[in-house]
Amino acid sequence: MALFLAYDPSSNPLNTNEWAFPVCEVLHILGFAVGIGTITMVNIRLLGLGLKKESPADLWKGTFPWTLAGLALVLITGPLIFSSDPNMYLRNEGFRFKITMLVLALLYHYTIYRWVALNKTSGGAAVMAGLISLLLWISVVFGGIFIAFV
Amino acid sequence: MPPEFVQALQDMSIATALRESALVFPVILSLHLTGMGLFGGLILMTDLRILGIALTKHPVSDIVNGLRPWKHLGLTLTATCGALLLWSKAAIYYPNPYLWIKLTLFALIIIHSLVFRGVYRNIGDLDRSPAIPGRAKLAAALSIVLWISVVTAGRWIGYWEPKGAPVNAAQVVN
Repeated sequence: MALFLAYDPSSNPLNTNEWAFPVCEVLHILGFAVGIGTITMVNIRLLGLGLKKESPADLWKGTFPWTLAGLALVLITGPLIFSSDPNMYLRNEGFRFKITMLVLALLYHYTIYRWVALNKTSGGAAVMAGLISLLLWISVVFGGIFIAFV
Repeated sequence: MPPEFVQALQDMSIATALRESALVFPVILSLHLTGMGLFGGLILMTDLRILGIALTKHPVSDIVNGLRPWKHLGLTLTATCGALLLWSKAAIYYPNPYLWIKLTLFALIIIHSLVFRGVYRNIGDLDRSPAIPGRAKLAAALSIVLWISVVTAGRWIGYWEPKGAPVNAAQVVN
């Protein structure tokens, strides 16, 4: 935290250029729509709610590059947005919650969730994996919005 | 100045309660974004499949028909929350040009769905066709452009300020 105390964001282009900040936000939203949207496709299948002609493993493989691209866009624009006012974000409860859930969601997604998607087609493990994934990603979105309201 | 009925809409007790609640307003906004997050990506993946860019191992009809009910659910969630947000600040948003751009884009999306109705109705034809016809690709490409424009206009609503008038930051944020 001390790292940012001496940093003066007032010369950051995100704060001096009228367009920079909202453009980052739009890309951030598009990125998470692609990232979370593609994860939702695998979730729909794991939860047994649809896409039953495809296997979860095939959906995981087919959506993999798009999920990664979406998350990459989010992970590039997120730190940019953060750089506009690091000290505010670090103190913000919504931000802290969001980052905690994001780290959990990413770790979960590329370990346990990945294994279930590649190895299970239905059953309790598949349903649990899908529910936990949904809950984690929705928490990230809620945390992000609450940054502006806490 | 917004017409009287717009002010009256905003002044209704439910709208006022929603606008002034420290919890309900951000929860509805979060659900608006959750709807986009969970289902906006589905629109893009459908379009990318039709364009032959993504999910090419899966038949077009499986993806388009399989995702349709989920896109409808997501659209319903996002649009309902959006309508509630708009209602709660109807008079505040009324002069905002980006609101009107966004509404115009929705009109274009409805026109798009009518013009290209045949493409989506007979999506099974694409499974049997050796190459994706240009008309289907045009429909998918326009869909991507329109939806990205909607998100962009939506975000810009939060950045427009009426000229001259002192701005109440709490009303403008998001």
